[in-house]
Amino acid sequence: MSLYVLEGLRPWVIQRVSAVYIVLFILYATYCFFSADNIAFEPWKNWFYNPFNTTVVGIFVLALLFHAWIGMRDVVLDYVHNIMLRIFILAMLVGVLIGSGLWVFRILLLSVVG
Amino acid sequence: MKFNIYRYNPEIDAKPHVQEYTLEDIEPGTMLLAALLRIKDEQDETLSFRRSCGEGVCGSDGMNINGSNGLACITALDGLKQPIEVKPLPGLPVIRDLIIDMDQFYKQYRAVKPYLVVNDPMPEVELSQTPAQREKLDGLYECVLCACCSTACPSFWWNPDKFLGPAALLQASRFIEDSRDQDFEKRLEDLEGPFKLFRCHTIMNCVNVCPKGLNPTRAIGRIKHKMVSRSL
Repeated sequence: MSLYVLEGLRPWVIQRVSAVYIVLFILYATYCFFSADNIAFEPWKNWFYNPFNTTVVGIFVLALLFHAWIGMRDVVLDYVHNIMLRIFILAMLVGVLIGSGLWVFRILLLSVVG
Repeated sequence: MKFNIYRYNPEIDAKPHVQEYTLEDIEPGTMLLAALLRIKDEQDETLSFRRSCGEGVCGSDGMNINGSNGLACITALDGLKQPIEVKPLPGLPVIRDLIIDMDQFYKQYRAVKPYLVVNDPMPEVELSQTPAQREKLDGLYECVLCACCSTACPSFWWNPDKFLGPAALLQASRFIEDSRDQDFEKRLEDLEGPFKLFRCHTIMNCVNVCPKGLNPTRAIGRIKHKMVSRSL
């Protein structure tokens, strides 16, 4: 794996597939929000308890992380030409995204475990 | 009619400047190239620009006209806002006035192997194609390499040494689509990586400015789809 994680074609495909999934998830989440009888913490927490919802949210977070990585990586590749600065920014970005991902999965896991 | 023309002679000028010219008695339908030639003949013989065929076939006189790239020989003065701002194509080094150094552009063109690769023994007569196979090259082979598209592409401005640019990628597509070519796999393989092809963000400036009405963005999309099909 080189510095430009995922390289050329693969990120291009992942970016498009993740974009479609993100749109579908947003539609589903919006539908759930507006069809809920009661908007409060408990029903929201129960929504996450549902294994289907935990799964789709988990995939959504993964899709969002990959989508964000590819988008930000492209901006860095376009504009940052100093190789050391580029490595630094990309490494920071990977750190922030992996950290965010682990944080979300901790929350999801806690919601499943209770 | 007033013209503001970019002037720069690195042997004399410390930095570029804009020079004003005025032409009287311009007939309707006159092209920009004819006006530039008149300025050169009548007012300032030091004004430098490339030109050859004068009818949009050779691609020599690509320049930035009122902010948009185009060929001076097929750009009518009638539709242009005055004063007409004429600059060299952006993004490549200026040699003098409207003449740019196209080395980088040609380097990227050469990188896509713009010729048929045939490994089998050559047939005695010709490499024939069906009309349907030949039709796939329409919209690809007509490029005159004027560089209007690549020098209008922000991705090419940012990474001219790594991103091949719309003109070279249009040519890549032209040979990838050619039924007679036997280097299909290698051509697609060579375009992999984050820079050569995938710096294209579908900005479509190339489509807007192409004086031949070609669509490099669509050609790039066709290459991407071929890469996806191949990887599946």
